[in-house]
Amino acid sequence: MSKKSRSKIWFLVHSWLALPIWFFVLIVCFTGTLAVVSQEIIWLAQPEVRANKPDGDPPLLNYDQVLAKVREARPDVIVSSISRPDEDHFALVVRVDLPDASNTSLYVNPYTGRVQGESADFDFRQFTRALHGWWLVPFTNGFSWGWYLVSLLGLPMLASLVTGLVVYKRFWKGFFKPVRLRQGARIFWGDFHRLSGLWSIWFIAVISITGTWFLIQALLFDFHISISSQGPPVIVAREAVPVVAQSERPPMVGIEDAIARVALQVPGLEASSIRLPGNAFDPLSVGGRGWYPLMFQSASLNPYSGEILSSRLLSDRTGLEFVTESMRPLHTGDFGGLWIKMIWFVFGLLLSMMVLSGLLIWTKRTALATAAAVKRKPRFERPEAQVTASSESHS
Amino acid sequence: MSKAAVLPVTSPLRQFWLKWRFHINVLLLAIPLGFMPKYFSDAALFTGKLGLGERVAGEIPVGPWSLTLAEFRKEGPVLQGGAGYIKDFSGALCKSCISEVKATYLRIGKPRSLRAAGGIFFGSAYSMFASVPIPEKTSPDAELWVTMEGWDGSMHQASIPLSQASPATYQWLKQQGGTP
Repeated sequence: MSKKSRSKIWFLVHSWLALPIWFFVLIVCFTGTLAVVSQEIIWLAQPEVRANKPDGDPPLLNYDQVLAKVREARPDVIVSSISRPDEDHFALVVRVDLPDASNTSLYVNPYTGRVQGESADFDFRQFTRALHGWWLVPFTNGFSWGWYLVSLLGLPMLASLVTGLVVYKRFWKGFFKPVRLRQGARIFWGDFHRLSGLWSIWFIAVISITGTWFLIQALLFDFHISISSQGPPVIVAREAVPVVAQSERPPMVGIEDAIARVALQVPGLEASSIRLPGNAFDPLSVGGRGWYPLMFQSASLNPYSGEILSSRLLSDRTGLEFVTESMRPLHTGDFGGLWIKMIWFVFGLLLSMMVLSGLLIWTKRTALATAAAVKRKPRFERPEAQVTASSESHS
Repeated sequence: MSKAAVLPVTSPLRQFWLKWRFHINVLLLAIPLGFMPKYFSDAALFTGKLGLGERVAGEIPVGPWSLTLAEFRKEGPVLQGGAGYIKDFSGALCKSCISEVKATYLRIGKPRSLRAAGGIFFGSAYSMFASVPIPEKTSPDAELWVTMEGWDGSMHQASIPLSQASPATYQWLKQQGGTP
């Protein structure tokens, strides 16, 4: 096969990977882009989630103070967890249960402890995640088939990247090629597609590889294959729960006391999430990031004595787990604060535009090719493959 | 492609196909649109906006206390891997007994001891969940036993017919043909 016809085939493969499903790919890319900044969008829309600092530069409240403030302001609720979002312009999120059996998140000012509001009935973040991640198809038994539908896209996306680079001759010289603005839409979208593709190589690789991991993850789960080194969750032994004469729950250790105990064992752990015991035998859990920003560490304590029952640290992970557990934060851009998210957002938009520009190139080119074919008035239309490939060699 | 090539270029059907073939995938949008009502009703169920669960079985007096029992979903038990068939119940403690009750358990058949009291409820006293293994051979006429343990060491038990606690599980067991 000649070099030329081989590149024609690569070009066709590149076109066909996304073209028949372009709208699906576009919506998945776009909702994913929205999901990256969904927390920021809520920040813009809902003033209650903001962590406004009062005058006088007060220090952050500690977790015990926050818990006391919430219980004072809302004696009707039962607190289940407290978390401090990564970015300090967000209020603390306190998960609570209400007497009517509903649950919600309270947004609490980290400086004053004031309960500023609660999560809206429509959870924008969850909705964009569900739309992007599994096309809203419910999880009934194992992973939702919508999850498979979306995560399967990782493979053609990876193939698009590879074939795109194969058909773009000497692509490494194209990073600073200007986009031609005045030579018609076909030229403009072609230049745009190539230039944004080049600068997005790393991003497309990250998204498609991590996306393919989501497919593998679902397959592993649904075929009951575990690669986890984590043991079953611990419980507080019956003997370790104090027996009390009065019919009342024995007091729990302070959260800050628990964090201090964990810090002795895990230096450098920034406690950002606290889960209170879910029943009499359930431990108190402290979690947070360590030196490796993509993964969480956690420890479980006996809530009555403060004794550490188990921990899940970076050093407990296998090499394989370092890879697999890094996949999700790499996909979502949620591991280094606002700026990483903004980079993911911008490249997510670019990727969505690449789907659109690819489609536009095809339709413009096909229109041209059709016009040319009609002029020639052939007896039979030539196979689509040839029309496309020949028009490509002109461009 | 080769089959298409034998059609004359003028066929309106073929022109329609050529024009729209790459846009048919817009119809995939029907999937999330179709599932949207289900998504929002599930979201309401998970945030407890629909109450304890899809069907409240009633308030069961257990000694000095009581438990409001509900089926999280109005359905029979679900096969969960090696754990076998599991039925999820939800429950709430009576307001006055919240501070006194240490733990609440559910089991098919009367427990022989506190250590075998069954699935323990997890969650806050306002809305807690328990998973109860349902062996396939269980008689449909079996009783669901509630065991409650106080912080002071006291223990109280009560039971209701499974057919009352979960009619769907009762029906499911009837189909399994279980015998007492």
